[in-house]
Amino acid sequence: MIRQTKRRTAGRRNFENGMIFQSSKLDKLYSHRLSFYDIPPLDEITLEEFELWAIDRLKVLIEIESCIARSKSVKEMESIIKPLLSKYLPISTLSKGNEKQIELERKKDHYSHFILRLVFCRSEDLRKKFIKTESILFKIRYNLMQPKEQTNFINDNNDKLNWSYINNEEKEQMFEQLFNATGSAIRSQLIMDNENLSINNEQLRQHVKMENFIKLPFEKIPHLLSARSIFIRNGEGYIPTTLQINLLVREFQNMLENNLIKTFQSLPRLDEDDRLLPVLNSLSRNFASVQYEVDSNNENVGDINSQSILTNEITKHYPLCGKHLQKTLSVNHHLRYQGRQQLGLFLKGIGLNIDEALKFWSNQFSANMTMEKFNKEYKYNIRHNYGLEGARNKYRPWDCATILSKPKPNKQEAHGCPYRDLNLDSLVSNLNDMGINDQKDINGVIEHVNKNEYTVACTKVFELTHKNMKGNENLHINHPNLYFDRSRQLEKSS
Amino acid sequence: MESTMTVEVSTASDDGVNVASSKPSSADMAFYYERLLPFRYVFQWLNHSPKPTKDFTMREFAYEHRSGAYQRYNSFATLDEFKKSVVSANPMRFEIGPVYSVNPKERKNLSKNAMRPLAKELVFDIDLTDYDGIRTCCSGTKICEKCWKFIQVAAKIIDRSLKEDFGFKHLIWVFSGRRGAHCWISDARARNLDELTRRSIVEYLDVLGSKQAKMGKQSLNLKRPFHPHIERSFEILKTSFVEIVLNDQDPWNDDNEQIDEMLAFLPDKDLQQELQKKWKNSSSNSKQKWEDIGIVAEKIIKNQARLNAVNEAKKDIIFYYLYPRLDVEVSRQLIHLLKSPFCIHPSTGNICVPFDLDYNLSDNRDDDGYGFNPMHAPNLITIQNELELYDSRNVDRASSQPSTDDENEAPTTKVLDFEKTSLKPYVNYFAKFVNDLVKDELKSQKRDRDDLEF
Ligand SMILES: [Zn+2]
Repeated sequence: MIRQTKRRTAGRRNFENGMIFQSSKLDKLYSHRLSFYDIPPLDEITLEEFELWAIDRLKVLIEIESCIARSKSVKEMESIIKPLLSKYLPISTLSKGNEKQIELERKKDHYSHFILRLVFCRSEDLRKKFIKTESILFKIRYNLMQPKEQTNFINDNNDKLNWSYINNEEKEQMFEQLFNATGSAIRSQLIMDNENLSINNEQLRQHVKMENFIKLPFEKIPHLLSARSIFIRNGEGYIPTTLQINLLVREFQNMLENNLIKTFQSLPRLDEDDRLLPVLNSLSRNFASVQYEVDSNNENVGDINSQSILTNEITKHYPLCGKHLQKTLSVNHHLRYQGRQQLGLFLKGIGLNIDEALKFWSNQFSANMTMEKFNKEYKYNIRHNYGLEGARNKYRPWDCATILSKPKPNKQEAHGCPYRDLNLDSLVSNLNDMGINDQKDINGVIEHVNKNEYTVACTKVFELTHKNMKGNENLHINHPNLYFDRSRQLEKSS
Repeated sequence: MESTMTVEVSTASDDGVNVASSKPSSADMAFYYERLLPFRYVFQWLNHSPKPTKDFTMREFAYEHRSGAYQRYNSFATLDEFKKSVVSANPMRFEIGPVYSVNPKERKNLSKNAMRPLAKELVFDIDLTDYDGIRTCCSGTKICEKCWKFIQVAAKIIDRSLKEDFGFKHLIWVFSGRRGAHCWISDARARNLDELTRRSIVEYLDVLGSKQAKMGKQSLNLKRPFHPHIERSFEILKTSFVEIVLNDQDPWNDDNEQIDEMLAFLPDKDLQQELQKKWKNSSSNSKQKWEDIGIVAEKIIKNQARLNAVNEAKKDIIFYYLYPRLDVEVSRQLIHLLKSPFCIHPSTGNICVPFDLDYNLSDNRDDDGYGFNPMHAPNLITIQNELELYDSRNVDRASSQPSTDDENEAPTTKVLDFEKTSLKPYVNYFAKFVNDLVKDELKSQKRDRDDLEF
């Protein structure tokens, strides 16, 4: 057992109801490279391991999250995630002499999953995100296994799955029906996993011959049934290997969902441990795309004030929505309510404090109104956003999802997402203003706009405007403040 | 006991049915409930056992009253209570709902969440109104022996799939009394399906896509090769397509809209134009036109792949004109209520009898080649006549008393009222169905008990 410092951390108290495995974990607990994570870990680990392992898993999950947002195909995702997996979360095959290393790898995988459960069980949103990314990780790893390994895994989990394979004789007997029923579904799945695939009927037939079919009551597979994607006879559906993975992932998701809720219910006991909580909190902050929190200790904040945010030095890091709002404000000396909220919270997010914010807004509005009117009608609202009035909530800057969920702006309004709300001409002229002039580049952005992939379009713009800076690979913009921060970070480091 | 008849002949024009049509009076209905409706079998069918179980006692029944009022959430403790309630309420018809987690009658004393639907037969509803776009013989509420064939084919297709694909055994088809048929699937497995699975079964069977068909979209999107269910259905459809669609309905004789709708299925613009030209100035029937498609295609299309596409399109046309059109909502919802077998259709007076898809159950030998014929379905007036005739003969023969309430008569020799009428073969058919179901049910309950013991 690996235990450098003896400190009680993620011990029995936190992962309850487990069974105790004393020795040779490779035989039972860690007998497969893949896991349903149905048995909680029991051994003690150090706080350092606790944090490091969780962060390593988080890195992989964040990357998966980014792939989802950029609508990568499964095959593309696999090629992006594979190198990260071998770096942060390897699960090698067992061979003579590497038992110790294998056990450590699987232990890390096991523990990191359970630690992140603690982090992500706290809200419906977080749970959803965790289930989604974890199940893709599960799927990628399943696909990396050999067919023999896959069937072993399924057979060994038969207590949970109740899957049984049909034998070859049965399969040959009904091959024509199996092929006719399920061929086109297999083809679409293969194409979905790998966009460039072309497969003719004979190849498909050969492929179906290689598939291992399981037999399940039709109640278990309503989606395959309604699409007429499988052969069904006498109350049982026949599911080929290619379509099994989705069922398997659904089982994984269901189990994880139940377990996350159980974890959440047992969380109060965990809060007693004052060493774990800060670690968990910082972990959840690390998942940048989850929620954008303002960090006033950030070294970048020092130069943000009511004057500097009017200079190109700062505004060049704005995403288009921020630029558009601030431009509208300086032209009209006014913004409608939604626009004030969106820009105000964005500025708060980049580090504009309350005093500077009041200065900034009153300056901007002064061409149109007296200080008295400003104080009477707008000051309260700005202080409110900073949690100084009313319910004293700390309002967070809007992320892209929030922006996209608000009512679309009318002619007098400037809030929203410019990639969605501007007409094509003004969008293109805005892109030109940002230095994107190449027609091919512009078409690339517009293409995503046309597919309603606004955050992807914005990410594309980020990539195009930060071409010469290293380290912007695989970033997905889903928050205006993320855009701003990354942009400044890149500038500093290059 | 009231045995004289009071017949109101239907005058309402919207109910102009060409089946022997007369609206039963309230007295007719009371008479029917009291003496003819086979409550015992309906009870056993829903109860799955000779003695009352929760399957029956927590089952919802709804009454549709003569006044138009609709009374839901009736439930009954015993067969006797069931019959007495129906007789005294004397509704126009009663409908069957799901088995609930609590007694529906007592729902008022319980919290709303306590009352959950637990189980109900899986049901299907096919109605000729959904065929109005393609039938030419009748429309609206009218039906005839020609268009009922649509129902025959539809029932055969659904029936085979439910048995062969889903493994259900206890299915019964019931005439809806006017222009359609219901299928009740009583297997325990079917009764316990959740709504998602019910929906997916319907979608599996609903090849035309009920919405799509109504919107008149011409793309059926049937994958090639055909799925085994589609292939089997096609084998059934193609044998009856000539008779039912081309000969009986003849939809493309002179109706240009129908012709255009059919032509739109063909993938080849040249072929469409060529056929339009050919048919413009000639009067030909649907069968000739159907043959023309092949002949003209052979002549103007030289590319084999395009010819194949035309052949596939012809298969799509066969599906569009003959494949079952389902009422999706009826099957999907657990809480949906459906009229009980052996009710009387309030507009036609027809009895909603169960029927066999392959055999004619009636004594009318003319229908042996046809199967169940809704035009000759037992009607309240005819069976009342039959009963009166029978009883009057027996009064002459035996004593001056009608035999029904005679306590001296041994029960074994007692002839039940329905047995004196043309309802008899239908009730017997239903009784056998119920008997098989109950036997199976008891067997599997015994199996479950045995499993528990070991
Ligand atoms: Zn007709």
